[in-house]
Amino acid sequence: MIRSDNGFFGEFGGRFVPEILLPALTELEDLFFGLRDDPAFWQEYLTLTQEFSGRPTPLTPLRRLSKQLGGAQIWLKREDLNHSGAHKINNVLGQGLLVQRMGKQRVIAETGAGQHGLATAIMAARLGLDATIYMGAEDIERQYSNVFWMRQLGSNVVGVTTGAQTLKEALDEALRDWAASVETTHYVLGTACGPAPFPELVSYFQSVISAEIKEQAMRQMGRLPDEIVACVGGGSNAMGAFAAFLEDPEVKLVGIEAGGLSLEDGQHSIRLSQNTGETGIAQGYKTLFLQNDDGQLGDTHSIAAGLDYVGVSPILAHLSQQGRVIPDSATDAEVTAAFSLLMKTEGIIPALESAHGLAGGFKRAQQMTPEQNLVINLSGRGDKDIFTVARAFPQPEWAGFLQREADRSAAIMQQQGEL
Amino acid sequence: MFPAQYENLQIMSHAVIGFPSLEENEKAIAGLVDAGVHLIELQVPFSDPVADGHTLVNACYEALKHGGSVQATLDLAERVCARHPEVTFVLMSYLNPLYRYGLERLFTTAAAIGIKGMIIPDWPVEEIEPWLPKLDELGLSPILMVTPNTAPERVRRIAKASRGMIYVVSRMGVTGHETHWGEKFQNYIDRIRQHTDLPLAVGFGVRTPDDLKALAGKAEVAAFCSQYIEWQRDDGSEVAASKMKSIVQTMAAN
Repeated sequence: MIRSDNGFFGEFGGRFVPEILLPALTELEDLFFGLRDDPAFWQEYLTLTQEFSGRPTPLTPLRRLSKQLGGAQIWLKREDLNHSGAHKINNVLGQGLLVQRMGKQRVIAETGAGQHGLATAIMAARLGLDATIYMGAEDIERQYSNVFWMRQLGSNVVGVTTGAQTLKEALDEALRDWAASVETTHYVLGTACGPAPFPELVSYFQSVISAEIKEQAMRQMGRLPDEIVACVGGGSNAMGAFAAFLEDPEVKLVGIEAGGLSLEDGQHSIRLSQNTGETGIAQGYKTLFLQNDDGQLGDTHSIAAGLDYVGVSPILAHLSQQGRVIPDSATDAEVTAAFSLLMKTEGIIPALESAHGLAGGFKRAQQMTPEQNLVINLSGRGDKDIFTVARAFPQPEWAGFLQREADRSAAIMQQQGEL
Repeated sequence: MFPAQYENLQIMSHAVIGFPSLEENEKAIAGLVDAGVHLIELQVPFSDPVADGHTLVNACYEALKHGGSVQATLDLAERVCARHPEVTFVLMSYLNPLYRYGLERLFTTAAAIGIKGMIIPDWPVEEIEPWLPKLDELGLSPILMVTPNTAPERVRRIAKASRGMIYVVSRMGVTGHETHWGEKFQNYIDRIRQHTDLPLAVGFGVRTPDDLKALAGKAEVAAFCSQYIEWQRDDGSEVAASKMKSIVQTMAAN
């Protein structure tokens, strides 16, 4: 169980926000603290995830690939099989229960890859709430299919055009909206970052992932796994996959960050594993941020929009500092190779974010023995990445199709204009 | 110095260091002083200014491209403090640039240069309290913010930790939009006064002579910032200063 010390995890965490946001954060914290130890509330949450998102998600053995790599038996925790296609829905459904208790009628969210925005749009539609989703203009271009669906679901998607136009700026903009709307609006923060109580609250709901892994491992492996590997952007899927194992020192916990193109500034999103992140206080909390000597937050890059973030969960920063979580990274090139390998060998299409976990996990599995078990959290599925993947593996027929589809869309728009 | 309680309303205005350029900042500040402004915030530009609206967000991005930084702010502050001894300069920054610089080193340097106060919107009162003995020793006033939704118990705590003035955020939201100054606002001001004898600086949404007229007799200081930065952006610092001069004159005539 993850418990902060007054909002802090070691030196990280806290609540460094403009005064205006404080009442809403304490209201949320009071509500959450009152519910989190109530077994009836956890059961209500589990029932909701079962009825609406198909939990528990399976733990799938990769028999062919494990044999081919010649190391540990590799298993995938199938968060890609959630409704909406990623683990993000867990946290959102949980926060939906809180929104109902608070009686707020509007929600806002930031999103990078669009999976959290999509999950929020789904929850808002289901509960009849107004939703505004902030997304960097750059990320909108990268993940347009999610934007399309958010709008179809009735959410207002706002493109953020400041700075590098990615997740960091989307989060800033969501905080600005919240400063004006805090009395009627709940901010559905999507990852285990931001001001207290969000890191703790998001990890609590995501911990359903590791609770299931533990039970499934005992049943399917007959014991606990030797290693659990997860990709790390903000850190919510990693915290979800690690939470139930924090007190089991024999289970190694490995977080894979986005190595991007290179270790040069602005070409990656590695905060933990290479001493690239420095302690800072921004976006409401204290953690390891990519920043310059003047304390300006840096630019990041990853092939996966969902990992393209400048900070990291204060809980992971702390666990990494303590040596409990082992940080590592995978480059864009390693990620596309792992993506392709999983598809061709096991018939599963992973999200590019999750493929970082695959790249890191496959490498580690090869150093292990066939008696050992390694679980990779497959946090999401890759349908949303069709355009990015098509660029990584160019095919002439795809370009031709896009051209014809663009012509068809233009013709429809023109027809509508004439009517 | 900071105004005394119930002194006539005066304007506090603003410079974002590096916007539109470091050279221009110094001229712009001289222009403000000439216009009759004697309280000026020197804002350290930041990549993620979450309490600011788009005017100041964009000014921050521009400023960072043109050499704005903590060090550039301190260098400029040293020059303008020496050149305009009649003006009270207040350092405005988000926490991270100052934290990276080293808080103690920053406070010591700022006080030595002649900066009189600090406004740091994401530095909560709990974190400021342990620094108060040091800040008092240096004579550097933390100007804390209260907002319309701050609970009475917390207003008391913030008032106790504040020095020089209290920054009263006029409404919910970020900088740069309109505010309405009705009875509700008066009640809010009255509520804050119950907890403090410090003068009140009202900010967020002070954009027109009408706003200033409405604030006269209610507060001691009006933070006239985003509108001034928009003038600077659209018309240049000289025109911005002359517009400020006419604002100050109108206010004095009322």
